[in-house]
Amino acid sequence: MFEPQIMCFLCKWCTYAGADLAGTSRKQYAPNTVNLRVMCSSRIDPQHILYAFKEGADGVFIGGCHPGDCHYVEGNYKTLRRTVLFRQMLEDFGINKNRLRLEWISAAEGQKFVDTMNEFTEQIRVLGPLNLENVALTNEGVSHE
Amino acid sequence: MRLHYYPGCTLKDKTTNLDDSTREAMKILGYELVEPEGWTCCGAEFPLTEEKIVGLTAPTRILRQVELEGGDKVVTTCAFCFNVLKRTNEALHRDPLKRKRINAYLKDDIKIEPLSKKKTTDFPEYSGHVWVLHLMEFIRNTVGYDHVRSLIKRDLKGLKVAPYYGCRLLRPAEEVGIDMPDNPHIFEEFLENLGCQVVDFPFKQECCGSYLSASLPNAATEASYQVLRSAKLNGADMLALSCPLCYYNLDRRQDRIQEKYLDFNGFPVLFFTQLLAWALGAEEKILGLDQHYYDPRPALGITDKAEVVS
Amino acid sequence: MNGNGKKKKIGVFVCHCGVNIAGVVDVERVAKELEGYEGVEFSTNYVYMCSEPGQKMILDEIKEKELDSIIIAACSPTLHEKTFQNVAELAGLNPYQIEIANIREQNSWVHADKERATKKAIKIVKSMVEKVLQNENLEPIQVGVSRRALVIGGGISGIQAALDIADHGYEVLLVEKNPSIGGHMIQLSETFPTLDCSQCIMTPKMVEASRHPKIKILTYHEVDSISGFVGNFKAKIRKKPRYVDADACTLCGDCEEVCPQVVPDEFNMGLSFRKAIYLPFPQAVPGTYTLDIENCLGLLPIRCGKCKDVCDVNAIDYDEEEEIFEEEVGAVVVATGYDLYTMDHLGEYGGEKYEDVVNGLEFERILSASGPTGGVVRRPSDGKIPKNVVFIQCCGSRDTEHHNPYCSKICCMYTAKHAMLYKHRVPDGNATVFYIDVRTGGKAFEEFYQRTIEEDSVLYMRGKVSKVYKEGDKLIVLGVDTLTGQKVEMEADMVVLAMSMVKTEGIEELLKKLKIATDANGWLAEAHPKLRPVESLNAGFFLAGCAHGPKDIPETVSQASAAAAKVGDLFAQDVLYHAPTIVPVIEELCSGCGICVTMCPYGARELDPIRKVVKVNEVLCEGCGACAAACPSGAAQQRNQTDNQIFSMVKAILKG
Repeated sequence: MFEPQIMCFLCKWCTYAGADLAGTSRKQYAPNTVNLRVMCSSRIDPQHILYAFKEGADGVFIGGCHPGDCHYVEGNYKTLRRTVLFRQMLEDFGINKNRLRLEWISAAEGQKFVDTMNEFTEQIRVLGPLNLENVALTNEGVSHE
Repeated sequence: MRLHYYPGCTLKDKTTNLDDSTREAMKILGYELVEPEGWTCCGAEFPLTEEKIVGLTAPTRILRQVELEGGDKVVTTCAFCFNVLKRTNEALHRDPLKRKRINAYLKDDIKIEPLSKKKTTDFPEYSGHVWVLHLMEFIRNTVGYDHVRSLIKRDLKGLKVAPYYGCRLLRPAEEVGIDMPDNPHIFEEFLENLGCQVVDFPFKQECCGSYLSASLPNAATEASYQVLRSAKLNGADMLALSCPLCYYNLDRRQDRIQEKYLDFNGFPVLFFTQLLAWALGAEEKILGLDQHYYDPRPALGITDKAEVVS
Repeated sequence: MNGNGKKKKIGVFVCHCGVNIAGVVDVERVAKELEGYEGVEFSTNYVYMCSEPGQKMILDEIKEKELDSIIIAACSPTLHEKTFQNVAELAGLNPYQIEIANIREQNSWVHADKERATKKAIKIVKSMVEKVLQNENLEPIQVGVSRRALVIGGGISGIQAALDIADHGYEVLLVEKNPSIGGHMIQLSETFPTLDCSQCIMTPKMVEASRHPKIKILTYHEVDSISGFVGNFKAKIRKKPRYVDADACTLCGDCEEVCPQVVPDEFNMGLSFRKAIYLPFPQAVPGTYTLDIENCLGLLPIRCGKCKDVCDVNAIDYDEEEEIFEEEVGAVVVATGYDLYTMDHLGEYGGEKYEDVVNGLEFERILSASGPTGGVVRRPSDGKIPKNVVFIQCCGSRDTEHHNPYCSKICCMYTAKHAMLYKHRVPDGNATVFYIDVRTGGKAFEEFYQRTIEEDSVLYMRGKVSKVYKEGDKLIVLGVDTLTGQKVEMEADMVVLAMSMVKTEGIEELLKKLKIATDANGWLAEAHPKLRPVESLNAGFFLAGCAHGPKDIPETVSQASAAAAKVGDLFAQDVLYHAPTIVPVIEELCSGCGICVTMCPYGARELDPIRKVVKVNEVLCEGCGACAAACPSGAAQQRNQTDNQIFSMVKAILKG
């Protein structure tokens, strides 16, 4: 069975702490994700996301604080704007935009982290591996809403 | 100038004198009032109930007809119709999805000429771009008080008039309000420009009883009594109205008020367009003052002698 | 490469954490896999890294193998990052050369598949090695502190904060826009729940502040702007001309007698009059007259000049001018207080129309012995003593549809106080209170409220009032009694409205200049609603009193003292330390586009207009990295989290 590789960028103050909480609560989730801690989700550049896809990630996840709770006042709003625009660009590249997911998870939401990781893993599993070489040729199932 | 005008059912049926005086007054001011063809009842209360799609089709149809006839605005003198039409318009404006659904619903409309039996279908969609205005707003904003004053023929000699807003003109403030609900000025300005002396009284925005006069007549009677009493107590000679239903409660039902409240001896009320027409020099019979329950002629200074119009 | 350009020698220490990690992850295999990885000099595993022997092992290995950076693969950094940084520092390493690989909370504790958990652990450790390979040695940024505080607002909160800071031994500038300090508290008659005379408890504090050697009171002054950063602010303060020399004025009052201009007295809420040259109230601090230029006939001798002629001590100077000066301060306490929601917002209660419908502060002045009626309860229209007074709570507060959604906190208590005091003075009068709830959460508050009902026979009617209007010389109150379900129509001689507290009028302008955040209702935003209630997110700015939200005097004083304590914390440091993981600018790469300047929520970046590159204030930069992500040329790189570091970490994770 295809096991997706998922790169997760987590903000130190909220989502990373939420992931830790999931750990202390011993909640189990799929081992397909690996986390990278940043100070704020707004540190994440589309370059980083594209690089991850290039290096073999089938999915990329960004976790930040709930709107209004950002430790740096408005970083999460910046992340939101960038992610919305970048998902559209991914579509233009031929990459299914659902391979990039942004979620607000607070330090108290350990269960939400677990559920999101599991759900995202399954979603990527259904989408299949991202073969960047073939992306231009095979229409990657760009969804029309 | 042509102006689209929505009279509403009451003006065409029970209170035709109000319609007549409106037309006459606007004619003097230079406007020809044109009713949208085949207009229906606006629905009064019902378009504003929970069911937000079917209930809004009747008002939408009226607005659509105005738009079809090339009008970009429609004025009305009935506060109820104004409230319904304006709120319908706002709802359609704010929610494009709702507008889409109602237009889809109205797509099946078929119009049949009663005589020729000619069928018309395929009406265009309503874009939501017709302005709904109450006549008082229209007179203040477009006609202008200066123009009105220049055409005044009768000196009202400082007639003490209490402006009665009722509920529909001002509330809900965000969707409809032609002025601040708790401190309105528009009716006062209107009356002052006609040459009246305005009397402020605390019940000017309290409900007259509205449709309760049919279902709970005692409540309506009490409400109307409070309004008339307060106006009288504060020194008014007459009450000026902006809604035909208030007119019904506050004039035609004075019989019930007199039955219940023995200290009440009647009080003259006049619709704002009747006052407007009167000030602009219209003939007495257009005002239809004989249709009133309580004769307002003495208050207006009309005696049986022939009057002099300057 | 380490800080000296030499190839790095990294030590990897994989912890078993008993069976917490080792039970799932093959720790020996992880340590083995990392041997020979680029930069790794030494790799081992141990049962409890954080234990004494574990820490000793790390120390020894660092010394022996001459390691210059270490990776601890163990529990979450939130637990032991500090611990291991201390160990490394003992060994002489820079604390920023230690990184923690989280293979417990985010690996062994959440995955059951041992093979996959082990593989994941290897990835995680490799990614942290990649990070530390490029880590620079960093020192915390040090900044000096100016040990002077600026308190904006001279009400009870400002005065209390100023006194506490000054008692610590630091200088305080207390700036107040009105001619005297005292705020609203000095207008009150008695305060709940003790019925202390407000002026009696406040004037000693006002005098203490004026006499305190460390407090400089600047009344009739306003803060124009504040620039700089924590510990190093520059405040521009504007002195409004008073036209009277505060030190020379003897309060004889001759000028007031001859002044021809009469205006409503703000201190008495418009219930009485004052002259254009006036003393706001007898206990004003500073004790001096002030010439209100807005209402004066004019300073030219041809206009008037009477007050100057009459002043025996020549205290009046028409040539006084506005002055703007700059002061250096290290901390700012914002204590700008509140205003009351104006009565014209509630037209249905007739506050603007009828004289006998008054708000809480007006009633306080009527009750006050030094007020316009000498403490006798009289109604404003005809001076008669009202026999029926209706009090209406929640005027403009707790109303999500049209007015303010929040609870104004003090009204239930002060309404009870008003009703009680009214009954004390007019024992045969009737007091009725229309309420939604009665909130009496403070100490001795509930008992106070019960006295109002039991001892003073105040009638509490649960229901809202829909209308107040005048008929003849009586006010008619239309309300409802929800507990019996009946409509209520009452006659009253006077109606007192408990108007909602709102933000001080015009405060938004000042706060925008100070860049202090407010909430949706205009109250100052605290750094954390539960754990940091007196600090703002802007370092160096502290909040006190009602500027932060509706509160009563006990809470205000507590908060003011707390803010003062925080200022004390700040000033107690020799130097201020700031995390160095900021985002500097690589000037060779900076094109001066200025995008990063707009990204910064702290205003830490500035475009140099001449050199066309961006400068960073290292003390203001909090290191979020938003600018780094936005920089199109890569000139903004976060220290120890550069783009290259992130790329290397991602590669190690996905390909490792």
